[in-house]
Amino acid sequence: MADTAEAPLLAKIRAHQVIARAEERPGNGRWSRFAQPRWIGILGIGLGLLAFWLALPPLASRTLVWPILVGVLSVAAGIAATTRGAGRVGWGAIVAGLAGIALGALATHSSTSHLNDVIVWSALIASTLRYATPLTYAAIGGMFSERSGVVNIGLEGDMLMGSFFGVWGADVTNSWFLGLLIAILSGMVLALVHAFFCIQLRADQIVVGTAINFLALGVTGYLFVDKYGANGAPTSIPTIPDITINSLKGVYFIGPVFGDLNLMIWLSFVLLFVSYIVMFRTPIGLRIRSVGEHPRAADTVGISVYATRYAAVVVSGGLAAMGGAYLSLGFVHTFDQNITGGRGFIALAALIFGKWRPLGAFAACLLFGFSSALGDRLPTYFTAGSSLPVLFNALPYVLTLIAVAGVIGRSIPPAAIGRPYVKQ
Amino acid sequence: MTELPGELEAPEAPEPTPEGTVPSVAARLALYQRAGGFVVPLITTVLAFFIGGLVVLVVTHKNPISTYKAIFNGSGLNWFFPWISHSDRVTAAFNLQSTLLLTTSLIFTGLAVAFAFRCGLFNIGGQGQYGMGAIVAVLVASSWTSMSGVPHIVLSIVLGALAGALWAGLAGILKATVGAHEVITTIMLNWIVFWFAAYLFGIGGPAQSSTQALVPVSNDVAPNTHLHVFWGSPILQGLHIGFFIAIAALVAYWIVLNRTTLGFEVRAVGFNPEAARYAGISVAKNYFLAMAISGTAAGLAGAIDVLGWKFRVGVDDIQGSTIGFIGIAVALLGRNTAVGIFFSALLFGALVNGTSTRNLDPSVFQPELASNLTLMIQGLVLLFVGADVLVIYLWRTRRKLLFWRRSAPTR
Amino acid sequence: MDDPPVLELEGITKRFPGVVANDHIDFTLGRSEVHALLGENGAGKSTLMNVLYGLYQPDEGQIRVKGETVKIGSPKDAIERGIGMVHQHFMLIPVMTVAENIVLATEPKQAGVLLDYRAARRRVEELSRTFGFVIDPDARVDTLTVGQQQRVEILKALYRQADILILDEPTAVLTPQEAQGLFEILRVLVREGLSIIFISHKLNEVLDIANRITVLRRGKRIETIPRQGATQAGLARLMVGRDVLLRVEKEPAEPAEPLLEVADLHVKNERDLEAVRAVSFDVRAGEIVGIAGVDGNGQSELIDAITGLRSAESGRVVVAGRDVTRSHTRRVIEAGLGHIPEDRHLRGLVLDFTLAENLALEDYREPPDSRFGWLFPRRLIARARTLIREFDVRGGGPRTRAASLSGGNQQKVVIAREVHRDPRVLLAAQPTRGLDIGAVEFVHRRLVEERDEGRAVLLVSLELDEILSLSDRILVIYEGAIVAEYGPDVSEEELGLAMTGGVREEAVA
Repeated sequence: MADTAEAPLLAKIRAHQVIARAEERPGNGRWSRFAQPRWIGILGIGLGLLAFWLALPPLASRTLVWPILVGVLSVAAGIAATTRGAGRVGWGAIVAGLAGIALGALATHSSTSHLNDVIVWSALIASTLRYATPLTYAAIGGMFSERSGVVNIGLEGDMLMGSFFGVWGADVTNSWFLGLLIAILSGMVLALVHAFFCIQLRADQIVVGTAINFLALGVTGYLFVDKYGANGAPTSIPTIPDITINSLKGVYFIGPVFGDLNLMIWLSFVLLFVSYIVMFRTPIGLRIRSVGEHPRAADTVGISVYATRYAAVVVSGGLAAMGGAYLSLGFVHTFDQNITGGRGFIALAALIFGKWRPLGAFAACLLFGFSSALGDRLPTYFTAGSSLPVLFNALPYVLTLIAVAGVIGRSIPPAAIGRPYVKQ
Repeated sequence: MTELPGELEAPEAPEPTPEGTVPSVAARLALYQRAGGFVVPLITTVLAFFIGGLVVLVVTHKNPISTYKAIFNGSGLNWFFPWISHSDRVTAAFNLQSTLLLTTSLIFTGLAVAFAFRCGLFNIGGQGQYGMGAIVAVLVASSWTSMSGVPHIVLSIVLGALAGALWAGLAGILKATVGAHEVITTIMLNWIVFWFAAYLFGIGGPAQSSTQALVPVSNDVAPNTHLHVFWGSPILQGLHIGFFIAIAALVAYWIVLNRTTLGFEVRAVGFNPEAARYAGISVAKNYFLAMAISGTAAGLAGAIDVLGWKFRVGVDDIQGSTIGFIGIAVALLGRNTAVGIFFSALLFGALVNGTSTRNLDPSVFQPELASNLTLMIQGLVLLFVGADVLVIYLWRTRRKLLFWRRSAPTR
Repeated sequence: MDDPPVLELEGITKRFPGVVANDHIDFTLGRSEVHALLGENGAGKSTLMNVLYGLYQPDEGQIRVKGETVKIGSPKDAIERGIGMVHQHFMLIPVMTVAENIVLATEPKQAGVLLDYRAARRRVEELSRTFGFVIDPDARVDTLTVGQQQRVEILKALYRQADILILDEPTAVLTPQEAQGLFEILRVLVREGLSIIFISHKLNEVLDIANRITVLRRGKRIETIPRQGATQAGLARLMVGRDVLLRVEKEPAEPAEPLLEVADLHVKNERDLEAVRAVSFDVRAGEIVGIAGVDGNGQSELIDAITGLRSAESGRVVVAGRDVTRSHTRRVIEAGLGHIPEDRHLRGLVLDFTLAENLALEDYREPPDSRFGWLFPRRLIARARTLIREFDVRGGGPRTRAASLSGGNQQKVVIAREVHRDPRVLLAAQPTRGLDIGAVEFVHRRLVEERDEGRAVLLVSLELDEILSLSDRILVIYEGAIVAEYGPDVSEEELGLAMTGGVREEAVA
C-alpha cells in the first residue's frame, strides 16, 4: 500500500532536512566564526556608540564629519547583519548608528550645557513619523503591485499626481476630504495607464514606469503653472487636519510625539494593519500572491491573472497618491514642481528592504524618515554661512543606496516579478 | 559525418522560448532594431506629438498647430528651408546653432543610456554622471590657470569623463557584486550629486566663486579653455567643436559594439547573461565596464558643455538640468543605434530649444508650460517605445496569418 | 468498456502560425480507463490536452463530455466539467503550503472575508486519506520531493472533483520506483471510477499502465490500439513512421588515461548547504561515464564546480592534467573542457545572436577571430559556414538568428561549438531534452563518435534510458555523494533503488 512504503522515506527526508539546517553554520576555521551576521551586528552597535563617544571629551571632535562617518559605517554594518538573518542585532546597529550621528551632532555643537533632550528627541520622533508617512503609503502600494508581479517604478509619478491633485482638488472644492479623493483618483488613473502598457501590451515595466514618471512630472508641472503660475500655490487651501489628543499631551515622552499627529499618519497605521490582513489572511491576498509567484499556475486554476494585476497596480497608484496628498495637504501644506523629490524610489527601496511585508517596509520607511528628520534639524547646529548643512539632504539617498546594496540577493522577491504574462 | 536518417525536408517550426527565460531589456530592444527600421520610430514620434498636442488643446484651449509651428521656428530647423527670408534666416541660423549645441549634449547622454542598454542595464543616472563631469571639469578648468590651452582642455575633458565613469561605475560595481538594481542605485546617485553641487557651489561652499560672494556659482573656467566656435559668434553661444567630438563618439559607439571583442561581450551579456557566463564571459566585469563607459559618455557631455558654452557651473545648473533624463528618451527612440541616436538627439534638441524662454514667443505659448509639454512628450515617447513591440509583433503575425489564410481553408 | 465514453474528441484541429499542431484528431475515453497518448516531442499531444483543458481554443472540432457537447473556454470551464490536469511542469507555488496550493481559487472562507486555513487543512487531510496518500498540508511545496509534489498536483484535481484526469509526462521526473508508486495511485483512482489520460513518450511505462494507446505523429492520429499485443518496437514504429533503433550501436569502450579527475569535491549551493559531498571519480579518454540521479541531488552543483561556474569549497578538479579547481570558466575551457549545457535556450545559446556569433562564443577572444581586441566578423562567418555544413544544421545560415532554428538544430549548433575546439573532455548535461527522436539519435550517435575519437565524455542525465544506452560506466549520485558504480548491464530496478538511496540504507541497516 502506498502509504506504508512512504512513511520511512518521508521520515528519512525530514531527518535529512533537520540535519541540513543544523549544518547551515558556515565556515570551518576558527576566525571565520566572526564573519557571522551576529558579530557584524554587534560590531555595528559598537560603531554607533563610538560615533557618539567621539564627540564627547576627551576626544571632543569639533567637526561633525567623524561621528557621521562612523555612524554611517554602523548603519551599513547593521544593514548587512539584518539581511543575513541577524535581524534584532542588525536593527540595533542601525538605530545605534543613527542615534550616534544625532547625539554626536548635538554634542559637537551644543553651546548650552542644559539640553532639553526630551524635547529634542520627541520632536525628532514626531518629525520622523511625518517624513515616513508618505513613504509608508507608497511602499504599501508598491507591495500590492509587486506581490502581483508588476514592478511599479512609477510610484514616484503616482505620488506626484496625488500631491498636485490633492492641492488643486482641495482648492477647487474647498474641502480637504474631496481633495484627497480627487488625489487618489488621479493616482489610480495614472496607474491604470501603467497597468495597460505593462500587462496588456507587455512592454518593459521599467521603461514604462520611467515614462509614467516623466508624464506625471510634465502633467503636474504643466497644470500647476497654468493654474497657479505667477502666484504659486494658494496659501489658504483646506489642509488635512491634525488630530489633537488632549489627554495624551501632558504625558512625559509620548505626549509630544503622538499628541498632535496628522490624521493621515494615524490612517497609515490602520493601513498597515489592514494591508497585512488582506495580503496574508484573505483569499484575495492568496490570489494576488499566487499571481506574482507563478501566474501560469494561478491561470490553470481559473484565476484571472490580468484582472488581478490590473487591480493590484491601480490600488498601488491610489495608495501612492494618498501618500503624495498627505505630503502636500497634510505636511508641507503647499505644492511645488517635483515636490516628491525621489520619495517614490525611496519607498520602493524600503519595500525591498522590508522583504515585501508591511511591517518590514514600515520599519524601513521609519529609517529613511528618521534620516530626513535628522537632515531637517541638524543644520541648526551649524555655524551660519557654511553650506555643509545642505549635504544632510543627501542623507536619505545615501542610506537608500546602502540599503539597496546590502539587501539585494538576500531579499527574495515574488518569483514572477517583472515578467509579462502571456495568456495563450 | 553522421547523416540524419529520414530527416524530412519540410521546414520545422522554430522552437518557442520556454517561459522560464526572461527576455532582457537588450533582447526586447533587439526586436525593435530588427523590425521597423525607420518607420516605427517615426510613427512613435508622430503619435507622441499628436497626444501632446491634444493635451495642449484640451487643457489650455490653445491651437496645437501654431504651438508646434512656433516651437519649430524657435528650434532653427527652418534654416534648412531655402525659401525663407534673409532676416528669418539669420534668426534661424542662430536658433539652429543653439539646437545643435543641445544635440551635442544629447548625443552623449543618449549614448550613455544606449551603451548600458546594450548590456541589459538601464542607466537612469545620466543626469548625475553629467553633473559629476561638469563639476570636475569646471574645477579643473578654473584651477591651474597657468596651464596652456590645449593640455588644459584635454585634461579637463578627460577628468570630467573619468568622473562620470567612476560615478556610473559605482552603480556598475554594486550591480556586478551584489546585484543591486541599477535603476534605484543610479537614481540615488543622481540625487546625491544634486545636493553635492548645492554644497560645493552654494554660498559659503568650498568651491564657490571667489569673485562673486553672493552668487551660488563656481569660478569661471580659464579663458584659454573655451572650446573653439566654428559656426556663429563665440559671444552669442555659437556652435563649438564639441559637435564633432559628439559625431566621433557616435562612430566610436558603432565601432566598439560591432568590431571589438568588448562589444561582442557586451552584446552577448545584454542578450543572455547566462549563456555568456557558460561560455566563459565574465558578466560582472561587463556590467561594470558597460556602466563605466556609459558614465564616460555622460561625463563627457558635462565637461564639453562647461568648456563649450557654460564656462561656469552654478547650483542651479546642476539642479535644474534635465539633459541626462532626456538622453533616456533619445536612446530609446533612436533604438540604441548610432544613426537613430543622432536623429532623435536632433529632434529633442530642437524640441527643448524651441520651447525655451529665449526662443518661444510667449504670446503663442508660455515657455514654462512648454517645458512641461516637453516632459510629457518624452514620457509619451517612452511609453510608445514600449508599446511598439506589440505593433511589430502584430505586424509580423498578420503576415503569417495572411499566409496560411491563403493556404488552408478557414471554418 | 461497454459503457458510453466519458469523453469524446471529434475532429479537433488547432493551428499556429506556420504549423498545424492538431489535424482532425479523434479521441475517446471510457470510464475507469487509462488511455495513453503517445508521440514524440512536437507530435501534438500537449496541444491536444491543452485544448481539452481550455488553455487553447480549437479551430475546428467538437468536444463531448459524458455525452454533452461542450465548449471549454478556459481552465475554469474544464474544471467545472470534471476535467483535471496534472502538468508536466508543476503548477504549484513553491513558497506556499500544500493546503494553500490545493484550495487556491476555491478557498473556504471565514466570516466571509478571511481565509479559513483550518478548514482547508481539514479538507486536504480528508482527501488524502480517502485516496491513500500521505501529505503534510502545512509543508511548503518547495520542501517536498518531486514525487510528493506530483501527488499534491493530483490532489488539486481531486479536490475540484475531477473524474477525468490528464497526466502530462508524469514520469519524466520520477525514478522507476516512484513511477511504480504513481501507477499504484492511478490504479486506485481508476477503481474509484476515474478515467485517466496518460501522455508519455516512454514506451515501457505506457505498456505497463495503459488500457488503450493512441499514437500521434506530426499532429495526426495514426492509430489507437489496445494494450494487448502492442510491443515497444511496434509503438516506436508508429510514433516515428520508420524503424527506430532503441539502443545506440556501439563498440565496447577502450579507455586510456584519465582526462577528467575529480577528487574529494565539496560544493555548496545557494543556500549555503553542502550539495556535493566528497565526490571523487575519473573519466578516461575513450569512455562515456554517465551520472544517474534524481533531479536535485547535486548534479547541477557538481557540473557548476567542474566547469568553473561555481567555486568548490574543497577538493580538486583536473582537466587533461591541469588543475582547474576554482578557476574561472574561461580557464577551464582553455584547459580542454567542452560543455554542452542543460538548457540550450537559457545557457547554451544567445538566441538573438546569429549562428556565426553563437559559434564564436568561445573563440572570439583569440586570433584569427580577433587581434588585440579588434574583431573580424568575416572570419566568424567563414567558420560558421564550415561548421553548419559539417554538422548539417538546417534552418539558416551564418547570419540567421539562433532563435529561428528548431530545437534539434539549435542543439547541433551548441554541440558544434563545443566539439570543434577539440576538447579533451566533453561534458553533456541533459543533451536531448525536448528533442524529437531524429535529433536524439543524432546526439547519441555524435557522443559515441566523440568517445571513439578519444575524448572523455561525462554524461549527466535524468533519462535512465539515455544513461543505460550510452554509458560505459554508470555512477549514481544521491544527496550529493556518489553512492554506487555499475557497468552498462545493470538493471533499471537496481539503478532506481540506488538513486533513491537504497544502497545506503542497506549499508546502514
